[in-house]
Amino acid sequence: MNQYRQKYSLAQSGELAHRKSIPPSKLMVGHDFSQEFKDQPALDPHGDARQLVRLVQCRSCSKPLSAPVTLPCGHTTCRACLAPTRPRDNISYPNTPDRQYGITCKICDEEYPTVECSADVTLTKVMEVVKQTIARVQDTPEAPVCVLEEIPVSEDDVHDSNDEKELTSYQGHRKEFRGGRLHATFQMASDGELRYNSDVQYRASPSDAQIHAHLDAELFNGLREAAHSELDCLVCYNMMLDPTTLPCGHTFCRHCLVRVMDHSSICPICRAGIHIPPIAIQNYPSNGRLVALLKSLSPEHVQARVEALESEEDNSEGALSTPLFVCTLSLPNTPTFLHIFEPRYRLMMRRCMEGNRRFGMVMYNRSSAPQGDLGPTSFLQYGTMLEIINLELLPDGRSFVETRGVSRFRIKAYGQLDGYYVGNVERVDDVPIIEEEQLERQEVLEAQAWADAYVLENPQDPRTPENFPGLLSTDELFRRCIGFVEQMSQRSAPWLSSRIVNVYGPPPDNHKTFPFWFASVLPIAEEEKYRLLATTRVRERLLIVYSWIKRIEGQRWPSGNSCSIL
Amino acid sequence: MALPKRIIKETERLMNEPVPGISAVPHEDNLRYFDVTIDGPSQSPYEGGLFKLELFLPDDYPMTPPKIRFLTKIYHPNIDRLGRICLDVLKSNWSPALQIRTILLSIQALLGAPNPDDPLANDVAQKWKEDQNAAIETARQWTQEHAKP
Ligand SMILES: [Zn+2]
Ligand SMILES: [Zn+2]
Ligand SMILES: [Zn+2]
Ligand SMILES: [Zn+2]
Repeated sequence: MNQYRQKYSLAQSGELAHRKSIPPSKLMVGHDFSQEFKDQPALDPHGDARQLVRLVQCRSCSKPLSAPVTLPCGHTTCRACLAPTRPRDNISYPNTPDRQYGITCKICDEEYPTVECSADVTLTKVMEVVKQTIARVQDTPEAPVCVLEEIPVSEDDVHDSNDEKELTSYQGHRKEFRGGRLHATFQMASDGELRYNSDVQYRASPSDAQIHAHLDAELFNGLREAAHSELDCLVCYNMMLDPTTLPCGHTFCRHCLVRVMDHSSICPICRAGIHIPPIAIQNYPSNGRLVALLKSLSPEHVQARVEALESEEDNSEGALSTPLFVCTLSLPNTPTFLHIFEPRYRLMMRRCMEGNRRFGMVMYNRSSAPQGDLGPTSFLQYGTMLEIINLELLPDGRSFVETRGVSRFRIKAYGQLDGYYVGNVERVDDVPIIEEEQLERQEVLEAQAWADAYVLENPQDPRTPENFPGLLSTDELFRRCIGFVEQMSQRSAPWLSSRIVNVYGPPPDNHKTFPFWFASVLPIAEEEKYRLLATTRVRERLLIVYSWIKRIEGQRWPSGNSCSIL
Repeated sequence: MALPKRIIKETERLMNEPVPGISAVPHEDNLRYFDVTIDGPSQSPYEGGLFKLELFLPDDYPMTPPKIRFLTKIYHPNIDRLGRICLDVLKSNWSPALQIRTILLSIQALLGAPNPDDPLANDVAQKWKEDQNAAIETARQWTQEHAKP
C-alpha cells in the first residue's frame, strides 16, 4: 500500500513540477507602452533615411514587405518568407484542423498554428500606399544624383540562412539614383540590393545634399499623409495606440480591444473568434512594425494619445465597484440559488438590479488562512461573478434569487459599503490557447521523460497513466472524465439523479467548462472544488478533476491495499 | 463628459458626405441624440414616403449599438407599433466596427426587403405571409397617410 501511495504522490509531484508557466518577458513585447514613447526622438527623413526604409523591409528577404503576415509574437515577414508549415505533435486540445499544422517565427522561434498566421490587413494597406507614393516620385530626372554604398553589418542574431563565411564574403552594393535619400534607399531595397542589416553610406555634394534633404522631407510628408488614414483604429477612429493585431489579421488599439472584449470575444471586423482571454490582451505582443511606423510617422500624435489615456485610466483605477456576497461556492456556467433575508443583502440586491445585475460570490475563509495581499480576511480571495437571472421578491422583503456564474475573479482590494463588502476585482481567465497548447506539449514530454527515468530505477512499476497521470493528453483526460460520468450514471449514482441533471444540465461536451459542471454535481468538500477557481488552464482543471475521480474509484473498489490513497 | 473623438468624426462625415436618401442631424443640446430621416426606397411600398426616426448613442457606444426607432407610423413586418426595429445588427450582431451610417443603410435596405420570417410585429408578418399583395397595399396606404414629406 505504501508503495503505491508513494508512487502515486510521486507521480503527482512530478506533474506539479512540470507546471512551469511561460516567463512573462516572453509575452511582454507591448508592456509599459508609455515608457517606450517618452523621449522617443522623431526620425529625420534625410538623416535617418536608412532607418526609415528598414521599417518596411522584410527581415528574411530584405525587400519591402510584400503581402505581410504578422504572427502572434508581433513579428512580421512577407507571406512568401514564412517558414514552411509543420505538424504540431503532442497537442490534443483544441483539436481543430486549422491548429494541427504550425508555422515557426523565424525571428523568435515561437510556433503558431496556421490559423493564427493571417495576412496583416493594416500593414498590407500601408505597404500599398507606401509603394504608390514612392512610385509617384520614381522619375525625377532633374534631381541631382545620390550615390549609395551598402555597408554590410554582420550581426550575431542574423536569422537568415547566411552562414558566417557568406557574411564575411558579402561585398555590399553600390547604386546611383536621381532623387532624395529616402526614395533612393527604398529603391535599392526593392531591387534586392540592400540587406536588412546593412547600413548605407550616402555621397553627394553639400549643395546636392541640400536638395536631397528637401526632396526627402517632401516625400516623407506625402507618406505620412497617405498612411495616416490606414492607421486609424476602426473602434475609436483615432490613430492606433499600441496597435495589437489579432490572429485574424485585424489591428486595433490595445485598450480598444480590451473594451471590445468586455462585450464579446469576436473580432469587430471579421467576427472571427478571439481565443485570447481579456486579461491576456494586456500583455499580448504589440504589432512591432506598426508601433515603429507610428512612432516615426507621428511621434507627437502618439505621445498625446498616451497622455490622454493615462489621465483617463487614473480616474477609474482601484474602484471598489463589485459588491461581494460572502456565502457559498459558485462556479462559472452553473446556477446558484439564493434566499436573501439579511437587510444588508436586500439592499445589495436592489442596487444590483438597478445596475448591471452582477455581484461577486465568495466563500467564507473558515481556516483564516492568509489571502494573498489581503491578509487573513473573513472570505476567500477567489470568487465567481454571478448574474441575476431572476429575482422573486416576497411581500415581506425577502427574495429568492436565481443566478448564473459568468466569470471568475480575484479580489485585489476590499472595503465595506452599508454593511456588505465591496471589492476591486480582477478577472481570472484561462491563458491563451497557444500557451495551453505549448504547455500540454511540454508537460507531456516532461512526464514521459520523468516516467521513463522512474521506471528505469523501479522496473517493477508499469509505466501506465494510472501511475503517471501526466502522461495523459488533455483530450484523453477529458475522455476519461466523461467516461467516468457515463459509468456512474449507469450505476445510478445519486449525484447524477434526474433532479440534479435538471438543475445543472447534462455534462457539457466542452473541455473548458466540464470541470466546473463536474464540481457542481460531485458531493465533495467545497474547499476542494474551490481550487478550480484559481486555475488558468484547461489541462490544470482536468488534472484536478481527474485526481478526484481516481480517489473516488479507489474508495469504491478497495482492491488490495490502495484504499487509503491521498 | 467630453464627446469621444469617434462620435465627432462620425457626425462630421454624416454632415459632409451625406448618404443619398438619408439624413442624420444631432441635437444642439445633446450631440448623442440624432434626428434621422430615411426616404422610402424606390420600387417598395414605402416609395415616396419620408420616415422620421430617432437615434441615440448610449454612453458605451460603440461597444453597444445605437438605440434607434421609427417615429413615423409604418406598416412593416420587422417594425412594431412603437417603431422598434428587428434587425440583427442592432442587437446580437452589432460590432463596434459598424457605425451610424452603416446602420441607417441597413434600415433603408430593410424597407426595401421586408422579412416576415423574422417578425417583430406578428400581426403584420402574418398578413404579409397570408396575402402579400394586400399587405403591400396597406403599407402603401400607410405611407401615403403618415409619411408625407
Ligand atoms: Zn520577405
Ligand atoms: Zn516572432
Ligand atoms: Zn482604438
Ligand atoms: Zn478580424
